[in-house]
Amino acid sequence: MDASNGGVEHPSAADFGHARVLPEDRTWFKRAVFYEVLVRAFYDSDADGSGDLRGLTERLDYLKWLGVDCIWLPPFYDSPLRDGGYDIRDFYKVLPEFGTVEDFVALLDAAHRRGIRVITDLVMNHTSDAHAWFQESRRDPTGPYGDYYVWSDTSEKYQDARVIFVDTEESNWTFDAVRKQFYWHRFFSHQPDLNYDNPAVQEAMIDVLRFWLDLGIDGFRLDAVPYLFEREGTNCENLPETHAFLKRCRKVIDDEFPGRVLLAEANQWPADVVAYFGDPETGGDECHMAFHFPLMPRIFMAVRRESRFPISEILAQTPEIPDLAQWGIFLRNHDELTLEMVTDEERDYMYSEYAKDPRMKANVGIRRRLAPLLENDRNQTELFTALLLSLPGSPVLYYGDEIGMGDIIWLGDRDGVRTPMQWSADRNAGFSTANPGRLYVPPSQDPVYGYQAVNVEAQRDTTNSLLNWTRTMLAVRRRHDAFAVGSFRELGGSNPSALTYVRELEGDGEVDTVLCVNNLSRFPQPIELNLQHWNGYTPVELTGRVEFPRIGELPYLLTLPGHGFYWFSLRAPVGEEP
Amino acid sequence: MDSELIEYLTQQRWYAGRNRKLTDAEPALVVALRDDIDLVLLDVSYDDGPGERYQLVLRQGDGEVGDALGDPEVANLLLAMIADSATIGPVSFAAEPDAELPAGETARVMGAEQSNTSVVFDEAAILKLFRRVLPGVNPDIELTRVLSRAGSPHVAPLLGSMSLDGGPETALGMLARFANNAAEGWDMAVASTRDLYAEGDLYANEVGGDFAGESERLGQAVAAVHATLAAELGAATALFPVDTMLERLAAVTASVPQVGEYAAAIESRYRALEGQPITVQRIHGDLHLGQVLRTPETWLLIDFEGEPGQSLDHRRAPDSPLRDVAGILRSYQYAAFQRLTEGGGNEQRRKQLAARAREWADRNRAAFCTGYAEAGGTEPDAELLAAYELDKAVYEAGYEARHRPHWLDLPLGAIANIVSG
Repeated sequence: MDASNGGVEHPSAADFGHARVLPEDRTWFKRAVFYEVLVRAFYDSDADGSGDLRGLTERLDYLKWLGVDCIWLPPFYDSPLRDGGYDIRDFYKVLPEFGTVEDFVALLDAAHRRGIRVITDLVMNHTSDAHAWFQESRRDPTGPYGDYYVWSDTSEKYQDARVIFVDTEESNWTFDAVRKQFYWHRFFSHQPDLNYDNPAVQEAMIDVLRFWLDLGIDGFRLDAVPYLFEREGTNCENLPETHAFLKRCRKVIDDEFPGRVLLAEANQWPADVVAYFGDPETGGDECHMAFHFPLMPRIFMAVRRESRFPISEILAQTPEIPDLAQWGIFLRNHDELTLEMVTDEERDYMYSEYAKDPRMKANVGIRRRLAPLLENDRNQTELFTALLLSLPGSPVLYYGDEIGMGDIIWLGDRDGVRTPMQWSADRNAGFSTANPGRLYVPPSQDPVYGYQAVNVEAQRDTTNSLLNWTRTMLAVRRRHDAFAVGSFRELGGSNPSALTYVRELEGDGEVDTVLCVNNLSRFPQPIELNLQHWNGYTPVELTGRVEFPRIGELPYLLTLPGHGFYWFSLRAPVGEEP
Repeated sequence: MDSELIEYLTQQRWYAGRNRKLTDAEPALVVALRDDIDLVLLDVSYDDGPGERYQLVLRQGDGEVGDALGDPEVANLLLAMIADSATIGPVSFAAEPDAELPAGETARVMGAEQSNTSVVFDEAAILKLFRRVLPGVNPDIELTRVLSRAGSPHVAPLLGSMSLDGGPETALGMLARFANNAAEGWDMAVASTRDLYAEGDLYANEVGGDFAGESERLGQAVAAVHATLAAELGAATALFPVDTMLERLAAVTASVPQVGEYAAAIESRYRALEGQPITVQRIHGDLHLGQVLRTPETWLLIDFEGEPGQSLDHRRAPDSPLRDVAGILRSYQYAAFQRLTEGGGNEQRRKQLAARAREWADRNRAAFCTGYAEAGGTEPDAELLAAYELDKAVYEAGYEARHRPHWLDLPLGAIANIVSG
């Protein structure tokens, strides 16, 4: 930074090597299986107790073997780490403990060589208060950065905007003793909001996008997008100006970096989130993807209630999305299992069912991993994963869930679900060769979920392990594009514990039809399906290729074990059959 | 008299004369729907009193009589006639104004029913063909139409109907939207109790399969339907029907001695309400968990046919909405206790199951009433409601004694419970 004239200098992409790029494909994300991995938690290449980019690069073969198409990395930028890296101090620099920009380019290159794409989080809405822009802005109100943030002489403006982090913040305004004015922040007070009404800010953020895209990154998950602009008399969320700016970002992608993606993080009802896909007439001209937040708690609720309706209900409320758009769906991620998108009654229910210990709660949600949430029940874990891989949307796996890792609820904040990846039964779970005391957090030593019992090495060698099962299911899913981009239709049926749907994809004059039958009850169930549309077809089970009896005119009867599921391909009758 | 036709008729599930001696069967009406397809109204007489009129759709030719409704082409023919609001001879088909009918690619006959045959088109519409043809306004068509036109979300909208012209209004069939992705309240309630019974030590409010949230929403739906019916068709004040209830009590006591034990206590409960004004209006009339459907959006009420076995006039008479509420509450007891009627298990286990069943039923009754009060504005009067529940339980005792004696303990237990409470 050159402070003499108030200018903050940033490097250019030309200063670095570039990663090879994958062939241009504007729809890859619609078919991809995503894998969220925390750089700090995956693999430590230099024995300093914390995972790093080089460590992740070393473990890409594992992800390739598993069948992952795209890695999603939460922020790895330079940061004072007061909000898990979402408080960015320098958009152009990698957090030193993770490595350098060169290390990142090497990761991208190695991933692309394996056909794996990489996206990362980008926080557009705010920066850390340690960012040079903010330091300049508070020091010199009339300088080039004076108008980069939202300043006011009073804390009275925009009173209709809610305070999001009610546990820690009283107001969206905080007084700055240096500039002697209030600054606006929708999240923590150490994260001032950027002022998007200033064209220079818009340019500066688009430059950030261009920098990483030039290096070869495949896309961004845009964190907290609904809050970019402020307008008096509104709740300052989802404003038209915000959508206009996203359209600008999308145009940069389409014109200069076709095939890269923008994923919106907007924790809202699907009917409201679809606005972030943009104009359906164009196939979508804002974000390519958006997370479907309410689906996940509904899956948990449906299985606990042994009723499909919590899922059916939310899917029925989910609008159509533009042709070039896709939902991202997940069971667990680095945050708590968020319960903002459920009713109060449902939230109480989720807490009582899934967070029996008060320490399992965090903000408005539950901080637990998948396996302990499901009481380490292998049948349920498989059912949940099968739902994740077959419901409409691109699935996002969370690192470690493929081997059934547990959580450590005694660690502070959300660290309980961010413990080191359990590679083997060796010291530090094979994650690091550092002195165990140096680890950023200890690996789980739980008798059930700890690394001696649950690790990649042991599960790789066991045919029926959760890891190998997951890998098989990803492979099955990949063989049928209908899972990814097929139409979705629920078949209903009289048994409320059965969730049955058909995914269908037309192409090359043929129709790929996949039938998914799920028993949400822990008890065995008979399921009668009306499959008249497929009279004469033969269901072929997809993991073992076993042919089931041909579909006739009568209702088709299946029996499923508790929490059982089937994936069938429906094979059309060939020629004249007797 | 056509012997082949009679043989066909007497084998049908909806034929009600199985225990009587048929003396004659003559077609009262034959309408050709197509060259080879006839709609036939058949008058059947018996040697012991009034006869019945049945509706048949038959294929002619080849000397063989057969039901033609199972043929998708024939079913679609009826659908097309409704869509066109056609008139064929004295049979009128009518589509509801602005109704969207399916084009009808597939058609399947649903499982056997007591008095109707239902055909589902494209999983989008359902045609209910009435097998027993009765002169008079059909309450199912009437109330479904009123609720549909009032925009009630708790009914499968009416799409069309078939009726006979000339003479008194006579309904032949109705077409309604088919709730494709739906499950019966009964099946959902049983799934919930199954979950409860599998837990050794959890209370009804602690198990994952808790049904109380659904019960509350169901209560809201029933209250909303009652409010719509009252607004559209009116409500009035009448006196508590003590005589009708006593008549039923006397009739059932005569044939089910076990009810006699409680007769005096029941009567005094009824008498205590003598002269009390109650609100009456059009109601469902035969509401229970098998008559409600959970769809992804909401709860639906179906089959507004009124109390089975009664005349059309009786079924259309205004009655207390508490009769419907009592019907659902009684249904909760059935759902909770049906496992106990299966027998087996030792005394200890049965006692424990019964305690948990009671707890489940109480919890869901309370939730239903809460929902009903939220949407209807008032909590049902406890004494009145108890009387309607007693009336229903007495009716059930009569029914169970005749058809399922091993279920008789269920209504008897409810009666004992109410009169001692």
